[in-house]
Amino acid sequence: MDHAPIWERWLRGVALILVVLFFMFPIFWILVMSVQTNETILRSPPSMAFEPTLQNYQALITGKLETQAGSLDIAFMQNLWNSVLLSVCSVALALVLGVPAAYAFARHKFRGSEDIAFTLLSFRFAPPLLVLLPLTLYFQDIGLADTYVGLIWVYQLICLPLILWIVRGYFEDISPDIEHAYRIAGHSWLSTFRRIALPLAGPGIAAAGLLAFIFAWNNFIFALVLASADKQPVTVGALAFVTASGIQYGQIAAAVVLSIAPTLALALYAQRYLVEGLSLGAVKG
Amino acid sequence: MYEKEKGLVDAFLRGQMDRRSLIRGLGALGVSAATAGVLVNSAATRALAADFDWKKHSGKSLKLLLNKHPYTDAMIANLDNFKELSGMDVEYDVFPEDVYFDKVTAALSSRSSEYDAFMTGAYMTWTYGPAGWVVDHNEWIQDESKTNPNYNWGDMLEGVRKSCAWNGRPGGELGSDDAMQWCIPWGYEQNNLSYNADMLEKAGVGVPTNMDELLEAAAKVQAANDGIYGIGVRGSRSWATIHPGFLSAYANLGENDLTVSSDGKLAAAMNTDVSKDFHAKWVKMIQDSGASDWSTHTWYQVGTDLGAGKSAMIYDADILGYFMNGGENAMAGKLAYAPFAAKGGDPTPNIWIWSLAMSKFSKDLDATWNFMQWASGPEHGLFGASQMDFVNPVRSSVWADDGFRQRLADSYPGYVEMHDVSAPGASIKFTAQPLFFDLTTEWAASLQKMVSKEVPIDEGLDQLADSVNRQLKDAGLG
Repeated sequence: MDHAPIWERWLRGVALILVVLFFMFPIFWILVMSVQTNETILRSPPSMAFEPTLQNYQALITGKLETQAGSLDIAFMQNLWNSVLLSVCSVALALVLGVPAAYAFARHKFRGSEDIAFTLLSFRFAPPLLVLLPLTLYFQDIGLADTYVGLIWVYQLICLPLILWIVRGYFEDISPDIEHAYRIAGHSWLSTFRRIALPLAGPGIAAAGLLAFIFAWNNFIFALVLASADKQPVTVGALAFVTASGIQYGQIAAAVVLSIAPTLALALYAQRYLVEGLSLGAVKG
Repeated sequence: MYEKEKGLVDAFLRGQMDRRSLIRGLGALGVSAATAGVLVNSAATRALAADFDWKKHSGKSLKLLLNKHPYTDAMIANLDNFKELSGMDVEYDVFPEDVYFDKVTAALSSRSSEYDAFMTGAYMTWTYGPAGWVVDHNEWIQDESKTNPNYNWGDMLEGVRKSCAWNGRPGGELGSDDAMQWCIPWGYEQNNLSYNADMLEKAGVGVPTNMDELLEAAAKVQAANDGIYGIGVRGSRSWATIHPGFLSAYANLGENDLTVSSDGKLAAAMNTDVSKDFHAKWVKMIQDSGASDWSTHTWYQVGTDLGAGKSAMIYDADILGYFMNGGENAMAGKLAYAPFAAKGGDPTPNIWIWSLAMSKFSKDLDATWNFMQWASGPEHGLFGASQMDFVNPVRSSVWADDGFRQRLADSYPGYVEMHDVSAPGASIKFTAQPLFFDLTTEWAASLQKMVSKEVPIDEGLDQLADSVNRQLKDAGLG
């Protein structure tokens, strides 16, 4: 029960409202822009009096924007699909590879284990372009240039270190005694990992997966350098509305709304795991 | 095509009928103006096949790297004609302008063979050419067995054509006899005035014809119209701030960015007395009548503000003003155009040239040249200029076309006259050298400091010249 004086609670409420307004205003403004035409967005001075329209969303979804200047083809839904495909597959692969590796690094101390773990983390330090240009040459030689498989592989530079290091901390946080007891009962190592370690580390794995998804979703440079226009994610696709003949602010706002929707929905759904997973894994008992 | 329509189109191609009569005649047969344009171009493309073996590379496939731009849209709209003419297949990747040159640089520096040809700016070829990433197109232009007899290379505007050729020596004259043709001009922009005629009229000021008048007009028009600023020019910390109006005015005063000594050494030339006086005027113009957030302004903000009625005029690319006079812009149909010379007299605008270049790593350069000569040829130039927004065309023959001139004159007051007056003096005014982007970006940064009064103009320019000279020396150029 809150025993603080009324004025303090009132002040706290006002402060909270101000903070929420401060952080939510850009999102609110983008939402408002997404249901306006370019003409009303660019009015001087700006005004909230306008007739809402869904033409920006309609244009993005149908792939055709009809303007007074003519018809414009839009490939945004393809970009959105590319983002979903690349992010989901990359995170799934990183989970399959990273979680067992994280368990191994947490439970089995072997020669060079720290060096290997640090090497994997160091992938996050390297400037992407430094890696990408030589990689382009290799990808061309082995036929992986401009393929989804090649991109998902490169996306492991983002996802794998993140999952490995977060989940490793979480495994280390769980007492090994439970696993030892299960092993003494005659169960195999694999069975212990599947039935004991994985369920206990669930929130941590979910949190790491969600973070990796957000980082993969926001990536820009990998597909730009390594793939053709038809495999570009939303981060590149949204820029198509900035053209020499003008900026389509309404479509950009609608594209932003559509592109943040999947990550926002996922984050809202998994926020409990996110906070729990990150905080538990971060502090060793 | 039905016989009557075919007869009309053929008569037009034989020169027995002007374009307006043709469109009127086709209209009487129920053919719309847009369809008439496509029919004419299709017939013109067939006529091309009579003089040259366009099918030599039939069955081959090309891939292009393109920037999202009205020029690209015009090419794509006409591409089926090339495919029919040549029997070749053409694929393309279109990337947004914001990331386009990153993609080009990545593709070329990794020696990727994915793209056979790509769009570029002439300035970029000062890096790509010496690096060996693009070919010298002279080899194909001058080969009669590879270039169709109607290509008419001499039809390209001289200043534009020469601006795409450089001998690779730092400070070397553009278009010199020993120059390599690093790219083929496609469409280009002159830097002149685009203005809101109503706003100028309300302020009772005429179109400025020199630098002093520009300052005065910008201040007056701002004072006479509520909630607007007088003049839009670019201000971001980028090379692109220097090349439009700023360098056009600077060069018109006879000033250079760099000087070249007899032994080929380069030295900074932006701290002369004339330059300091010009910088002082330019800075005052921005402080008094420019956008309040000028230091963030790029192509997009300068254009958008003019189109939205937030600025009275811009000293920037003429096609930026052209684009803002159409579409959903609030000021569509209200803009006009004028040539501008800072000194008065003949304008000498600096230019940006969207060009096409063949990648050195192309799988088949001869086949690629087939496409290049079609895309930069007079037929496609005329189609794009008269049916799409492929302005400014780089060919004299397109500028001489009555239909195209009339179309501009009807909707873009002063545009044709502006172009005709400016074209003879239009060329790249920078000194070609490999540090171009670094040095011009630093120039823009200095300009920002001067406008924000962080540094006095004299001192700022002396500091800039010292820094430029140091960098040139470090690079072995000074």
